[in-house]
Amino acid sequence: MRPLLLLASAAALAAQPTVTFLRDVAPILNKTGCTSGPCHGAAKGKNGFKLSLRGYDPQFDYEALLYDLSGRRFNRADPGRSLMLAKPSQQVAHGGGLRFEKDSEYYKVIYNWIARGVPYGDPAKDAVAAVEVEPKEIAMARPGEAAQVKVIARYADGQTRDVTREATVESNVPDVAKVDLSAKVSGERTGEATMLVRYQGKFSTIPVTILNPKPGFVWKAAAQNNYIDMHIDAKLQRLRIQPAPLADDATFLRRVTLDLTGQLPTPDEVRAFLADTTPTRLKRSKMIDKLIARPAYTDYWTIKWGDLLQSSRKYLGEKGTFAFREWIRESIAANKPYDKMVRELLTSRGSSYEDPAANFFRVTREPKPTMEKTTQVFLGVRMVCAQCHDHPFERWTQNQYYQMAAFFSAVGLRPGYEVGEEIVYDQRADYDMKHPKDSRVVPPQFLVASAAPVPIPNDDRRRDALATWLASKQNPFFAKAIANRVWSYFFGKGIIDPVDDIRASNPPVNPALLDALTKDLTDHNFDLQHLMRTIVNSRTYQAAITTNEWNETDGDNFSHAIPRRMGAEALMDGVASAAGARPNFPEVPEETTATQLPDPHVGKDGFLDLFGRPSRESACECERRADLSLPQALNLVNGRTISDAVADSKGRVAKLILAGKNDAAIVEELYLAALSRLPNKAEAERGQKYLSGGTRAVRSQDLLWALLNSKGFLYIY
Amino acid sequence: MTVGRSLIGFRLQLLRYINDSSGRKSSIYFPQTESFRLVNLPMKPQFTWMLVPLVALGVSGQPSYFRDVRPILQKQCQGCHNPAGASSDLDVTSFAAFAKGGKRGSAFAAGKPAESLTIRYLTGELKPQMPLGQPALAAGDIDRVRAWIAAGALDDSPAETSDERPPVYLQPPVISALRWSPDGARIAVSGNREIFVQGADGMGAQQRLGGKAERILSLAFSADGSKLIAGGGTPAQFGELQIWDTKSGKLLQSARLTNDTVFGASIAPDGSRVAVGCTDNTVHVFETASGKELYKIGNHENWVLGSVFGVDSRRFVTVSKDRAAKIIDAASGAFLENANILRTELNAVARHPKKDIIVIGGEDRYPYVYNMDRPKNMKIADDTTLIRKLDRQDGPIFALDWSSDAAWIAVGGIAPSVNIYNAETGKLSAKCEGHSAGIYGVSFSPDGKKLATGGFDGKVRIYDATNCQMLKSFVPAPISAGTPTGGAE
Repeated sequence: MRPLLLLASAAALAAQPTVTFLRDVAPILNKTGCTSGPCHGAAKGKNGFKLSLRGYDPQFDYEALLYDLSGRRFNRADPGRSLMLAKPSQQVAHGGGLRFEKDSEYYKVIYNWIARGVPYGDPAKDAVAAVEVEPKEIAMARPGEAAQVKVIARYADGQTRDVTREATVESNVPDVAKVDLSAKVSGERTGEATMLVRYQGKFSTIPVTILNPKPGFVWKAAAQNNYIDMHIDAKLQRLRIQPAPLADDATFLRRVTLDLTGQLPTPDEVRAFLADTTPTRLKRSKMIDKLIARPAYTDYWTIKWGDLLQSSRKYLGEKGTFAFREWIRESIAANKPYDKMVRELLTSRGSSYEDPAANFFRVTREPKPTMEKTTQVFLGVRMVCAQCHDHPFERWTQNQYYQMAAFFSAVGLRPGYEVGEEIVYDQRADYDMKHPKDSRVVPPQFLVASAAPVPIPNDDRRRDALATWLASKQNPFFAKAIANRVWSYFFGKGIIDPVDDIRASNPPVNPALLDALTKDLTDHNFDLQHLMRTIVNSRTYQAAITTNEWNETDGDNFSHAIPRRMGAEALMDGVASAAGARPNFPEVPEETTATQLPDPHVGKDGFLDLFGRPSRESACECERRADLSLPQALNLVNGRTISDAVADSKGRVAKLILAGKNDAAIVEELYLAALSRLPNKAEAERGQKYLSGGTRAVRSQDLLWALLNSKGFLYIY
Repeated sequence: MTVGRSLIGFRLQLLRYINDSSGRKSSIYFPQTESFRLVNLPMKPQFTWMLVPLVALGVSGQPSYFRDVRPILQKQCQGCHNPAGASSDLDVTSFAAFAKGGKRGSAFAAGKPAESLTIRYLTGELKPQMPLGQPALAAGDIDRVRAWIAAGALDDSPAETSDERPPVYLQPPVISALRWSPDGARIAVSGNREIFVQGADGMGAQQRLGGKAERILSLAFSADGSKLIAGGGTPAQFGELQIWDTKSGKLLQSARLTNDTVFGASIAPDGSRVAVGCTDNTVHVFETASGKELYKIGNHENWVLGSVFGVDSRRFVTVSKDRAAKIIDAASGAFLENANILRTELNAVARHPKKDIIVIGGEDRYPYVYNMDRPKNMKIADDTTLIRKLDRQDGPIFALDWSSDAAWIAVGGIAPSVNIYNAETGKLSAKCEGHSAGIYGVSFSPDGKKLATGGFDGKVRIYDATNCQMLKSFVPAPISAGTPTGGAE
């Protein structure tokens, strides 16, 4: 009659005489969807009945079920007549449809609970303390295999219960491994997935690996450049994936120059690099050092950090934007340790002109958005859900949201003496953070305890303590978040992806690698250049995009390079450098490149925005779009950016023609300028044939136009 | 430079060449795009019913509406096709309504399943296929409906069974309403499908007024005590207004209205009219003597949970989850104005015994005291009629009463205590403790000396109104020995 209990041990059965809301009823509300977002878990409830989203607040749900409208939803005198049974079993009309049958176990559990006087249960005993899963990980030799997951809830009083049926099990990559309602996992294709198991606000994960069943795999060890390759290879070998070989020198040069500086190599640079006979690894390593030392490196990473810190005149005014951008530029040019840079931001105060880092607070202005930005950018943790309710997929609670926001609650802004100047200061009175539920004062508290405890002063300078805690080597999120984020800039995706959504249910594809990168970064005192140098020196980064029979389906484990569309600024600068024509931006000096623009105000609604330049309205990495769209294609084919550039009277084609270069030289030069490589024989012949078929100037423009429209130009590969 | 048509042709040709034949496999230039899988549409069930003899359907004997069809309608259809929000104006919650059909016509044609809309929508012959957005019904279920229509679509529902036996209580029911009689001798208390009229000394129920409505949510005596008004109903099914003769215990009038319980029934001081609030956002007004409905009004935008008449019976005030306390002309039903500024969902209202001053309360936990009359013309956001805002309570407010000597205001709600305020000063006078959970009914004795409370825990408690000393507590329902049946119904 009560299978839930029968599944538990005999001892547990004897010790548990009653049905409680916490232990028995609340899970049913979650499992049958009552508390889901489209139903009664909606912010305004449904049809006058509101429950907490996914049941994160059982006390609230208990009161809603029992106290609303004088106990409308239950009938203690005649339990079977209770609305909370009649509706979900469709004895009376229920907009949410049939949730369980009248003769189901769920019905009986709720009936019993009402008949026994609707006890809430004791949180010290009946609350779920942990969710345990069996097996801990799933490995399948081939797609098509299946594995049953078992979910055990461990309660605060130490008892356990099999809750497989009530737990929610979801796959993060259903086309690799899917899971059915009975928690049976089936392998769909070769690859990896993670099962997220949820039960009553507690979580667990199960990694699933499905191997390639193809016979004949023999691991062929490739040279490893550094520890990155070691961790990548360990994983690849286990998954029976053979990594791609190194990309050729021209491809590497183009890729690394774009990734470090946002610019294309010039034809002469390509020629010189190809001609250099230094051993490959050393040659590439030297080039990397050179690129990092270039001013273009500073420009390019100033854009990245300007995006994340939302440096925009919309929030900061013109002078403020330039000041903030200059602060970012100097930090990058000096390779300021990342922790120092973040501490400077978080503890900045005073005039926004004198301490430009203070502009950090002028963008978000209020404590709560400032906290959300701080956690998302620097810790990779998204707290925003927890403002209204406990995070549905994470352990973050609404309390923690306000505890963290309390660190910024004393930060105030007031106008300065100059136009557009603002003073960031710490208020002396009435700055307490209040909980929205009952207006109680929430004292500041760190998200997680740090290995090295940081005392929190209960005064207006509390954010200094936050800065100390946050930007510390001991913080479990801080170094990991930036290491992962930097990695993503070179591979198109993070080891945890999205990079600013780090949570237990979004695990890293290669934890050992991420840990090693994190440790390397903290061992080198948050030297981001060191981190980048290590990444781009790895064989993994330098791998070709070509695939073999063992890695062709792999898109997650960095076994080969994956082409990425060039970013908006790089694309525009690439067109300019290939065509030898500078775009003219209003309000900035003539020679300014797209990468050097101060903020998204310049060139607004033009080519850059079409190609996904972020408007800096949010601190989310996702604001920069790398999508492909029809308007983009039309702009490339018909728009002025490319057609004007190729026809520029002072441009590359014009110069080549005026210099009297022959067809072979023109074709070679244009391939080098646009694709950073020499044309192969067939390409060279075909190109020359084309040039000789009409007016050379016009035909040369055609060729350059076509090269700039080709995938070989538009992508980083 | 303009790019002519032929020129763009050349250029595109070149581009194709560069993309396709630059010595590498072209596919490697493109990112590995996500593999889009074709969504497998569920196979349409094959309708082979004509070949299947009816006996093979597992339907024994004559097809039955009550046994075969009704459960299917209940499980699969009535979520959308119910009186509260009838999609296509079709209501399948009763045979009569189902037979009536919706805006597309009759739901079925007896004897002709192939022409019946129900079958045509269930099979997908007509779009959209029903149930909307759900998997199609099992072929066996459609066959059951089809067989029943083919057999003449008869209604074989048993007549509504009415259980005349008094309810047996194993646990005290929640008290959702209680009211002291004008002579002070009795207290009327809600039960399950009945009202207990209890001696004020708590010594057993003098009367058990049994009815159909499962829940009684409001109770009011006429000024002379001869009539007892009860509003309630069965949740999500029907609302009922009952008018009882208190002497004989006879039900004088009963009116069923709306598809859900009714709230906040009140009677005019002159006894002429009764007002009651509904979940369809309406307020219905009845003539007490005849039980005839005079009119209904629809000014509110959410459930109407409380009502009270003015001293002279010529106006009444209704409060609603839409946050408004609306003043209505009792004779015509015309809306006069809002008594309050909209702040919070309102659950309860009570009136000063001798003046047109009301106290209202709800979700924001503050009782507000408002004058129903306005000294000057109203302006937008004019709150000059607010006389006083009392203390914030520990939970949303559900019950209010004003003692007939005008001295006290009692405030009850989700918090397990009742606060008594000095109505003149607004100061907290006493806090009545002892409840285990929320309070849904508070009523002063006619002399204002005592306060009766009832709520979640099913006990009536009587307090000294001046100091909240508990004088008595009792369970109005007779509790039988026995253990709960443990789920087996």
